[in-house]
Amino acid sequence: MKKTIYLDYAAATPTDEAVVKAMIPFFNNLFFNPSATYSPALEVKRALTEARKKISFHLGAKPEEIIFTAGGSEANNLAIHGIMTNYSGKNLVVSSIEHDSVLEVAKNYDYKEAPVDHSGLVIIDSLFELVNDETVLISVMQANNEVGTIQPINEISKRINSIRHKRLESGNLTPLLLHSDAAQAANYLDLHHSKLGVDLMSLNGGKIYGPKQTGILFVKSGVKLKPLISGGGQESNLRSGTENVAGCIGLACALEIAQENRKAEYTRLSTIQQNGFSLIKDKLPNAVINGSIKKRLPNNLHITLPDIDNEKLLFLLDSAGVYCSAGSACSASSQKPSHVLGAMGISDQDARNSIRITIGRQTTQSDMERAIDLITEIITEKF
Amino acid sequence: MTKKVYVGMSGGVDSSVTAALLKQQGYLVTGVYMKNWSQDLPGHHCTWEEDYTDAKKVATQLDIPFKLYDFEKEYRSLVVDYMVAEYEAGRTPNPDIMCNQEIKFKLFLDTALADGADMIATGHYSRISDGQLLSGLDKNKDQSYFLYRVTEKSLQKSIMPIGELEKPKVRQIAKDLHLSTASKKDSQGICFVGKVGIKEFLESEIGPQKPGNIVDQNGKTISSHEGSIYYTIGQRHGLNVGGGLPYYVTSKDMKKNEVYVTTDLDSKSLWNKTLELTDIHWINLPPQKNAKYRVRTRYRADLIDIDSFELTNDLLKINLKDEVRAVTPGQSAVIYENDRVVGGGIVI
Repeated sequence: MKKTIYLDYAAATPTDEAVVKAMIPFFNNLFFNPSATYSPALEVKRALTEARKKISFHLGAKPEEIIFTAGGSEANNLAIHGIMTNYSGKNLVVSSIEHDSVLEVAKNYDYKEAPVDHSGLVIIDSLFELVNDETVLISVMQANNEVGTIQPINEISKRINSIRHKRLESGNLTPLLLHSDAAQAANYLDLHHSKLGVDLMSLNGGKIYGPKQTGILFVKSGVKLKPLISGGGQESNLRSGTENVAGCIGLACALEIAQENRKAEYTRLSTIQQNGFSLIKDKLPNAVINGSIKKRLPNNLHITLPDIDNEKLLFLLDSAGVYCSAGSACSASSQKPSHVLGAMGISDQDARNSIRITIGRQTTQSDMERAIDLITEIITEKF
Repeated sequence: MTKKVYVGMSGGVDSSVTAALLKQQGYLVTGVYMKNWSQDLPGHHCTWEEDYTDAKKVATQLDIPFKLYDFEKEYRSLVVDYMVAEYEAGRTPNPDIMCNQEIKFKLFLDTALADGADMIATGHYSRISDGQLLSGLDKNKDQSYFLYRVTEKSLQKSIMPIGELEKPKVRQIAKDLHLSTASKKDSQGICFVGKVGIKEFLESEIGPQKPGNIVDQNGKTISSHEGSIYYTIGQRHGLNVGGGLPYYVTSKDMKKNEVYVTTDLDSKSLWNKTLELTDIHWINLPPQKNAKYRVRTRYRADLIDIDSFELTNDLLKINLKDEVRAVTPGQSAVIYENDRVVGGGIVI
């Protein structure tokens, strides 16, 4: 059987074996509802508390600041809806390259989109020109899912701090909060909330070798938001429903592995990524690399191949056993080029000639070489 | 010179095999996905993106160029709006026939020719011979009924290779060629309405209907309905009247908003020995007095012998040899001479 090469880690990651192992007992003999009072249920509750503690540790947060959600999209929804319904009449500013689970939610409120430059980095001055006295929330992702640009969250939070001081002096009681979607960043970047300066932050288990439909929203103490799901009052009343205990345990385990190995993995993948870029330049001289070269996740290669229909290329790669994508897996739609590339000033035509390669734990240097060889071969023979 | 053929590829197995066969036969084939509808309906996901992807995958496998034609605006005004208006008038139209007449064998053909094609091809189970339309050889799949409103001129520029084949053979070819659509399920019902059914679709288009009475053969009101437009003549109904015999819709009065039913399957009102058609269309020549014709009043219905007919202006009166059950106003009656489609019209 031919070896397949998976190059779509930004869409989904294989669940780590240690994560699966950690989860199993909570499907079997530890199935109990953590809110129950008998002794085995208390054991489940303790495990859930441990998971929350573990996650909070990697965020430099308090355990009660971690709200478990069913995935990253829910965490983003909770952050935006939660704040905006609590401060009705106020507005928010989001970057134009946010994930749909931020952008589509923002559209329900008075919102503005902050532009990015050609490399996909938020233009900070332009962002703050959109902020006025009624702005209550800014949402900028830590790293982009399509082109991998790492956003200047820290600089944004510094600017927010000075606005907060001014508001305090002028008697404006509207808070200015910063939310960041860290779904793609969690494998490679520091997530300490105080270093980033975020008030809300979303994580997604499915992108960090954990189970899908698991996630968290970090909510800094003192930040008030309204729940999306009411009921039994779990998760500090912010997310009712019997906890997905196995999922929470799996997520905590996945985050721990990711964060403990992030520096080594960053270095290893950076090397493969850089070699990949040089190979592409060498073998496909017309190719254009999209996104920032310097401020970029180590696992992302996004390229435009002029005159190459990306859908056709992806089908042919698929039959050769190489799996990558045309962009964000959420918008695999053929006629709607990605809003991210559009915001970066990349034409619809160029967007249709672009592919995204995202690498991960199982990717080796030779996988990358083989994939680029195949792309070159296919382009020579079939286009 | 090698002919350039544009094949309408829907992402299904029939049009996939159509493209494959024509390529094998040496044509210069281009695949075209016609995007006619993309809207999701409550309870029904429009699969156009999946279908487009399937079609393009097959085109990639066959190594043929592939295009998308966006006909949404035209499909909406020529097919969907027509369909809704017909229902509102109390009739039961056939949107697939309209789609063939206006979209596939007019707009698609014209657009393809303008783009440099010499001919178009479709995956219909039907055959073309010298500008004549013949029924498909697979009696279970024959789609010639849906095609009676196309013109001779358009047939002369069209190819339907799988009309010569039976469905299992088509699937076998797709399998042998490892086409990615080889085991894809056939689509069912009106494509854009899918399984949710026409009622939900009409409701989303023209809003909820006024309830009215259902009256039986004795003039007795036996139940109520949620809108007479939803009832089709001949339709068998439970009518929510608990137990007893099934009811059949015999007629409707749109003004009174009443639906008339009977439990008597032999009721005169359910059987016709004559048909009146309007909006007549003949593919080649009109029917001749001395020839022998048969008529089909529903897709896949049996062909019924015509005893005699009278053609005046745009009205065709047909006397049948035998009675036929439940001919529905708005539906098409298609006239055949042996396996050749002569034409037909809309039942009054």
